[in-house]
Amino acid sequence: MSEKNTEKSGRKTGRREALWGLMFVLAAAILLHLTGRVFRPVHINYGSTWEQYLAEPKNSIDVLFLGSSYAYCDWNPAMMYAESGLTGYVMGGSEQTPALTYWYLKEALRTQSPSVVVMEASSLFFDRYRNYTQTNVERMPWGFNRLGAIFTAAEPEKRVSLFFDLYIYHDRWKELTEADFEKLVPAGADHLKGHTAVDEVFPALEWSQEPFLNELSQSEEILEENMKDFDRIAALCREKGIDLIVTVNPTYSQYPQPVYDRLEERLTENEGVRVFDWRNGFEEMGLDVSKHLYDGGHLNQDGAKIFSAWTGRFLREQGYVPRAQTEENTLAWEAAAEYWEGLLG
Amino acid sequence: MGFLTLSYFLFFPACVLGYFLLPHKTRNLWLLACSWFFYLCAGPQYFLFLLATVAVTWTVALGLERGGGKALLICALCLFIGALVVFKYLRFGLSLVTGALGALGLDWSPAVPELLLPAGISFYFFTAMGYLIDVHRGKCPAERSFLKCALFLSFFPSLLSGPIGRGPELLLQFDSLHNFNYVNLKEGFLRFLWGAFKKLLLADRLAVAVDTVFAAPERFGALQVLLAACAFSVQIYCDFSAYSDMAVGSARVMGFALTENFRTPYFSRSIAEFWRRWHISLSSWFRDYLYIPLGGSRRGTGRKYLNLLIVFAVSGLWHGAALSFLVWGLLNGLYQVAGSLTEKPRSTLREAVRLRPDSKVTALWQMAWVFGLSTIAWVFFEAGSVSGALAVLRNMAKPVLWDAGGLAAMGMDVLEWRVAGAALVMLAAVDAMSQRFDVTRRVLEAPRWVRWCVCLGLLLVIVIFGSYGSGYNAQDFIYGQF
Repeated sequence: MSEKNTEKSGRKTGRREALWGLMFVLAAAILLHLTGRVFRPVHINYGSTWEQYLAEPKNSIDVLFLGSSYAYCDWNPAMMYAESGLTGYVMGGSEQTPALTYWYLKEALRTQSPSVVVMEASSLFFDRYRNYTQTNVERMPWGFNRLGAIFTAAEPEKRVSLFFDLYIYHDRWKELTEADFEKLVPAGADHLKGHTAVDEVFPALEWSQEPFLNELSQSEEILEENMKDFDRIAALCREKGIDLIVTVNPTYSQYPQPVYDRLEERLTENEGVRVFDWRNGFEEMGLDVSKHLYDGGHLNQDGAKIFSAWTGRFLREQGYVPRAQTEENTLAWEAAAEYWEGLLG
Repeated sequence: MGFLTLSYFLFFPACVLGYFLLPHKTRNLWLLACSWFFYLCAGPQYFLFLLATVAVTWTVALGLERGGGKALLICALCLFIGALVVFKYLRFGLSLVTGALGALGLDWSPAVPELLLPAGISFYFFTAMGYLIDVHRGKCPAERSFLKCALFLSFFPSLLSGPIGRGPELLLQFDSLHNFNYVNLKEGFLRFLWGAFKKLLLADRLAVAVDTVFAAPERFGALQVLLAACAFSVQIYCDFSAYSDMAVGSARVMGFALTENFRTPYFSRSIAEFWRRWHISLSSWFRDYLYIPLGGSRRGTGRKYLNLLIVFAVSGLWHGAALSFLVWGLLNGLYQVAGSLTEKPRSTLREAVRLRPDSKVTALWQMAWVFGLSTIAWVFFEAGSVSGALAVLRNMAKPVLWDAGGLAAMGMDVLEWRVAGAALVMLAAVDAMSQRFDVTRRVLEAPRWVRWCVCLGLLLVIVIFGSYGSGYNAQDFIYGQF
């Protein structure tokens, strides 16, 4: 009897110890997570603004914009809202590859159910890996999709820092300021809606000047890999009943015409995908190349205002209508539009 | 696979989990598989050396027990020492010979084959030789199980950089039943954390300044060179004792007790004491298997001094095949000889100035001497060559005390020095406490919130202030190259 009792109490103690052990691991994980938040550099624009995206009311976004810097520089969702009433969000990232865009879309659709996904096409010509994998992945919320991004879309040598970003940011202890500790409080929804406003004007561009033609240097294999990732994006949209539009935005940085012809042909192999080539649509949209380009490729904030309003009108013409919003969210969008109107005039 | 790598953080929990979940009978087999996997990660080309060492050791040990006699033991020792000479010292030996012949006007330049130096060879060869001598002396029975003998020589926590295992202590532990124990887990975890603290906050941080100054001592003032030399004394202690802490901690989690390798050596009051507290598993190995067989102190004072010099010369060469290591070893031997010769006059001098041998001032004075003397010796260890070491020492004595570049010119900005200073104060405090009680035990016996604060605080400090990640040159463990 006493042996049994001893065994029982031993097991009890063991369980209690195990529970405390788990709690210790949890406490360490929370501590490291919070430390990571403090040490990670402040990030409110240039894509990957996941915290702000997740703060948007659930299922309140009509249009989800995807892609690279072309997406977040060219589209200002608040300006699209002001023109069309359509709500939108740019969930792109710097030099974001299509492989990563797939995981972004999958994660983004966990909280939003847009009527249409608009993807800017430039990233379909990217290499397998680009420069900003760390920033693009580390901002994603933890979960299956982030793991998928780490293991299928990120450079293998970056896995340590993608799992544990203090690996690269811990030496910021020398430069921490009060603002870094403010990041402990999660960011709320903001007026940017994923947009990055750049105010410089690309100098000396005249209407008469021909666009810059780039050579497509990527191998067939890489381009096909990108297309396969796009196929997954298209399949996901089909599965969720979301329309998918691919655009080539107004830009002076272009490839020769056959590249776009081939692109359109390949993209539209996916059922329901529509491709719009707007790269030379400056005049039609009301854009002035001498005023509205940031670097010859991307639009600046004034160009983005005009292009976003035009996109809103275009989408309305395509039959997309704004969904009903709560009064609170309507006010938030109106405030965002007002903020940009005030800023851009 | 270093202890502070992602692969080890994945490997170790899997190994421990498998160890405790598997039936008792298969645990040693699992541990051996894990140990061999660990060694294969260091380089698959080295594995055959380990396997051959195990096979030879097991066979010879059984042969010795069956009356193989001294001849068999000598053959086996010659085999190990011969292999060590070929793989580690051939190039160095030939360079000495060609140098000597060159001095006599004879030109001889033999082709030296490029040979592999298997990871950890000095450590597991010494483990094997010590075990065979113990079997011959009857101190421990020959292990009949090939598996256990293989595990004894390949046990992953101590395989690459020690502590050098002894048959009577470690082999028996593979016979015992190790049940999962939270106390062991906590103790092991805390030791590992403390090792990581020493390695990442101090050793790898100071390495930057040490490497910068030792690479071009003439660019710095005397005090900066002196500071770098002192920093190396701290660096090597933190580096190697950190490895031992992590090895002991890893083994502890599975219920094994490895030999303690360091007992706060810089608190020693003589160089002889320093060597009883520094790299204990190697020092005691040399004491038991070389110094005592040579006659130790039993054959008169002169012979004792000669034995000391032989042991420390061999110890120097064990650390590396270069003249600078030989000088480093001999210097440590000479310190002890000089210490012994001057014992009486020093004692008389202390009495004359009315300093009691047990007073704090005496103790501090002696510790400072030990640190100073060992620092001079470490210069030969770190400099890479005798001429390089002499250049460092020369630059410590030059009239320019401080170069205009200041601390930053040494490769570390002021903030980095402050972190290193704070970590050093913490290390000294913990080492001082460990003179009086077992710090790990004391922490583990404290209330839970204190334990948690200590562990989480240590973890946080390591994660924030450690020298690791991108932007840092990952430093290998210094003793990993031996």
